[in-house]
Amino acid sequence: MTQQSEHAAVDGDQTIQVVMIGLGDEKFALDAAIVREIIDPVPATRVAGAKPFVHSIINVRGNIVPLADLRLRFGMPLTDASTDTRIVVIETQIDNEPVLVGLTADKVYEVTEISRCDTQQTPRVGVSWKSEFIRFITKWRDEFVIVPNIERILH
Amino acid sequence: MSSPDWTESFRQEAAELFETLEGALLDLCEKPDDRELVDSAFRALHTIKGSGAMFGFDKVANFTHEFETAFDRVRKGEIAPTRELITVALAAKDYIRALIEAPDSTDTIIGDGILDDLRRFVSPSAVMESPPLQPAGAPAATDRGTDDDTAVAGWRLHLEFESHILRNGSNPLNFLDDLSKLGPCFAIALTDDIPLLDALEPEDCYLTWDVTLHASCGREVIEDIFMFVIDEMTLTATPLSRSDLSHPAEPAAQPPMRAPEPHAAAAEPPAAKTKEAERAPDPRREETKRSDDRAIATVRVQARRLDEMMDRVGELVIAQARLSQLAAASSDASIKLIAEEIERLAGSLRDTTMGARMVPIGSLFGRFRRLVHDLSRDLSKPVDLITSGEDTELDKTMIEGLADPLVHLIRNAIDHGIEQTDARNAAGKTEKGRIELHAIHSGAQVLVTVRDNGAGLNTARIRAKAEEQGLLAPGAELPDADIHQFLFHPGFSTAQTISALSGRGVGMDVVKRTIETMRGSIDMATKPGEGTTVTLRLPLTLAIIEGLMIRVGEGRYIIPLSAVEECVELTADDQRARGRNFLNIRGDLVPFLMLRDILQASGSPDEYQKTIIVSTGETRVGLVADQIIGSHQTVIKSLSKLHSDVTIFSGATILGDGTAALILDVVQLVALAQAHADKQHLNEAA
Repeated sequence: MTQQSEHAAVDGDQTIQVVMIGLGDEKFALDAAIVREIIDPVPATRVAGAKPFVHSIINVRGNIVPLADLRLRFGMPLTDASTDTRIVVIETQIDNEPVLVGLTADKVYEVTEISRCDTQQTPRVGVSWKSEFIRFITKWRDEFVIVPNIERILH
Repeated sequence: MSSPDWTESFRQEAAELFETLEGALLDLCEKPDDRELVDSAFRALHTIKGSGAMFGFDKVANFTHEFETAFDRVRKGEIAPTRELITVALAAKDYIRALIEAPDSTDTIIGDGILDDLRRFVSPSAVMESPPLQPAGAPAATDRGTDDDTAVAGWRLHLEFESHILRNGSNPLNFLDDLSKLGPCFAIALTDDIPLLDALEPEDCYLTWDVTLHASCGREVIEDIFMFVIDEMTLTATPLSRSDLSHPAEPAAQPPMRAPEPHAAAAEPPAAKTKEAERAPDPRREETKRSDDRAIATVRVQARRLDEMMDRVGELVIAQARLSQLAAASSDASIKLIAEEIERLAGSLRDTTMGARMVPIGSLFGRFRRLVHDLSRDLSKPVDLITSGEDTELDKTMIEGLADPLVHLIRNAIDHGIEQTDARNAAGKTEKGRIELHAIHSGAQVLVTVRDNGAGLNTARIRAKAEEQGLLAPGAELPDADIHQFLFHPGFSTAQTISALSGRGVGMDVVKRTIETMRGSIDMATKPGEGTTVTLRLPLTLAIIEGLMIRVGEGRYIIPLSAVEECVELTADDQRARGRNFLNIRGDLVPFLMLRDILQASGSPDEYQKTIIVSTGETRVGLVADQIIGSHQTVIKSLSKLHSDVTIFSGATILGDGTAALILDVVQLVALAQAHADKQHLNEAA
């Protein structure tokens, strides 16, 4: 993650390999380097008193992994799980320690490449997202795609 | 021999020897007359020297040799091991250790300094004693009962080495060479003990020697030659007159005849000598036998492998739970049978694996003797350390984790707890302070207690400090026990002066945090003028616990079974008494918590609510759940950093059906219940 983000920051015109996921009506691009696996939904155990966007834990191959819902961080309405729902397990850094986190995705599209050249400088009108949650917004097949700043979102 | 592992095993062996050495030296402080202690210190030193030389730690071997030589007068009983001498000896031990562990970064100047010190302690008496030694020819003759030494023209020696002598790196032939330097010398090797080739151990020494020495030297000169092996041999030395020596060829010609003769001779004149020679080897023989037994009974295993094994067993237990669940739902009797079999096997494998990780806490206690010795010297407060329960076993990771907290507690106890000698005298106490270190099993917990008989906590001063730091409103009423809790506050110190030892306020909070990360708790009790007792409560193991599974709403949770006292049904009366959350348990009022509220359970509660009474230390709290499911082998997994803000859970586990379940943190829940109860008290009072 860190390597990749530095990479992207230094080399502006570098393309990044990403996993494209859908959350609500939006598309998010997750850096493929941090994605560990994509699994079908599993029963989650709610953790009372936890921050709302990391409300549960799940069992991923014998490890207890927190389940985060990015939709809550972007003020999107929660919808029930569908047949397209997946859990994307990523590895990120929290306080300089590697941590596995499961992210709920309404749909996983594909692994693809995006380029920073297509970066859209101006956020779209009417969006009230915290700018720190977004690394940048780019375009992919004529659609806007959000590249989230996972470390900030989970902090 | 060429394998690098040998060096490592030397280091490990040396580490154990250092422990022995340090223990013996510290014991010598208490019992300076105990020859056995001096001998055991010497043996340790000698083995370090021997194996050091063998593995190429030449600096170690050289220094240890010097150390041994200087210390030899203590061993001979010529000078008493004073406290100062022991201190230097301990410093020397530290230096040798440094030479072994970090040979490159250890300066030999330190070693020279230590040796100078050592020699200074040893030599004054030597200077005084040596003049009479030389003219007499038989030093210290009077007390050794060797009056006839002056007339000695030679010696008849019988040398019998223990069979393992060669393995220790000693070569009997070298001693014979040394003997021959004293004067003309006839040595006869007695080959009677050499077994048939089948039974011959190539590394054992089977030979004994009869030596006739033409030299009018003193007994000491001969003993000096065998100084380092005297414990591993029998040396019979019979003085010979000039007439005995007139037939030097005779002993050589008739070796078998000579055998009974030295015995008879040895038994009669130097009675003291024989006694000494016999007494010394005997314990040594037992010792070797014991350590041989141990060598067979134990195997060194890398700690990492034990950890991996524990992980695997944890996974096995989870998988087995799933199997049991499936089998229970199946109608196939043979599947059930196998599931039961595997459950039993997994259970005993778990116990064995956990047992393999258990280490007696005595190994840890041993380290503190040095700490107490040094602190007691630095602060000039005489302190005795009394330890008990050294056999109590704990998971090795816990032992490692306990070292620092205990160091803090002991430092505090000596620095703050034990008074200066005059204050103790004034209070009518014994001049020597006492620190007690005690470990005991209590259910699935281990209690480790540090008790001092010092002044006790100064509640007024802690209070003043808490008010000064704004932790407590001035004049606020608070029970003493709560005021003492401020000691665990980060950065809290009441020491008026900051010493090198304690008083910087980074002790007790670290202790508390460390103990809590080990899922333990800490209690403190104090009596003014009588001392303070700090009790650490620790779980036996960190990896797997016996848990009680309960259901609250839709969720299943685990309560560590070690904290559970009993389960009772919540009566309608109790439930109706809203706002007054107390249970009547056989006359005691016990506050209770509705887990449904705390865990934000959905759905309607079950009709018959159950209460699980849990306890930490003295306090009991009821936890109200919907259902008690039963006991559960709980493999503890820690929660992710993202959930570090959630305090009521101490971890999570994976259930038989593959879902995760949370483990309730009883200590936190009790604190929560107490806070609730206190609030109610206040409300009722208002």
